[in-house]
Amino acid sequence: MSDFDFDIIRRSWPLMREATWVSIQVFAWSLVLASFIGLLFALMRLSNVRALRWIAGIYVWIFRGLPALVILFFAFFWVGRVLDLTSFQAAILGLGVSSGAYKAEIIRAGILAVDNGQREASDALAMTRAQSMRRIILPQGIRVMIPNYVSNSTLLFKSTSLATVIGLNELTGKSRQLANSTFKPIEILTAAGVIYLVLTSVLVGAQVLLERRYAVKA
Amino acid sequence: MDVQFFIDVFPEILEGLTLTVSLFLWTLLFSTFLGLVLALMRLSPIPPLRWVSAVYGWLLRGIPLLLLLFYVFFALPEFGDFFILSPFRSAVLGLTLWTASYQSEAIRSGIISVDKGQHEASEALGMSRTHQMRKIILPQSVRIIAPPFTGNAINALKQTSLATVITVSEMTGITRGIISSTFQTVEPLFALALVYLALTTVLVFAQSGLERVFRLKT
Repeated sequence: MSDFDFDIIRRSWPLMREATWVSIQVFAWSLVLASFIGLLFALMRLSNVRALRWIAGIYVWIFRGLPALVILFFAFFWVGRVLDLTSFQAAILGLGVSSGAYKAEIIRAGILAVDNGQREASDALAMTRAQSMRRIILPQGIRVMIPNYVSNSTLLFKSTSLATVIGLNELTGKSRQLANSTFKPIEILTAAGVIYLVLTSVLVGAQVLLERRYAVKA
Repeated sequence: MDVQFFIDVFPEILEGLTLTVSLFLWTLLFSTFLGLVLALMRLSPIPPLRWVSAVYGWLLRGIPLLLLLFYVFFALPEFGDFFILSPFRSAVLGLTLWTASYQSEAIRSGIISVDKGQHEASEALGMSRTHQMRKIILPQSVRIIAPPFTGNAINALKQTSLATVITVSEMTGITRGIISSTFQTVEPLFALALVYLALTTVLVFAQSGLERVFRLKT
């Protein structure tokens, strides 16, 4: 093995930085989509209407049962062709839909963890179901959701690497190309690993801050 | 959708099933072993062992699996001929290293959830640490380990789909091949999705079966 070549990393940096930014954008948008889907389907699963519960249950079963890669293929080759999506948009759709199924379960568990007395009390105060959910249940459920929610989001960030398979120039795919063209796979792939580690560590830091923010004040 | 083509495509995709299942089983076997070792290291009284295990977890959980697979497949051979592995072995190695980092957390949290009194009681009986762990602690922790453990195993099954990216033609790889040679996307994708859904559903049933076996008899 030759010596570790820092120069190649320095020269590849502009391209890698660009690709990192693509990864971050895909992550941010699919997180928004997944959170929206997650909340919607969590509420549907807890609904009084049986049909809504079924639909949400089937959604979670299907999208947690399939590899994210297969969902991305659907998003790109099927939905993407019908709606004429770019690989960037298809990646957001696929990852959002896939992660949304996990988020739904996490949010549902958080809601169920809130003490029943809270629900009864808000009933007694004549709040509507929507009101009690928004004002009483969700704010308390968030505390329980945070750890799982953030670690699932960290997984989502790492999953953005899959988008290379549908032709998106994100960090993992770009690094692989660079590794091929420079014949320095160790340097380039290690650099990519460091970038991912820094960014996932930021997310873990965010988790600690969020947990502190939502901790019960004693 | 062309129903006849949908039916015709099944046998071809199922040819990759053996490869998918053997990727999964090897990964499950090795990652369980490595995960147990890492968990015991993390709980060891010897600081360097704890550090190594903690750094391992931080590294492996901080990067995408796909990047790890690229590393194993493209960068590792640079370290010497010994590391030139077949695509299949590279995939098993990558999947194992990645899954073990999650399994070690599942096993560790199971071990520390066993009541402290059990430790103290077995110590009072003059048991050695290994004896304690084997006869008293691990058997009781299995109950708590089972749900996250099987969850990780199901993830590992889904992630075997990534092996296609390093040229292992398991089910997803075969499906990609069909798509690019026939230009038909919907039928092969639905067929592939059905097979994965069947596999993960079987595992979910196995999971609830396991949990029933390990439930405390009261």
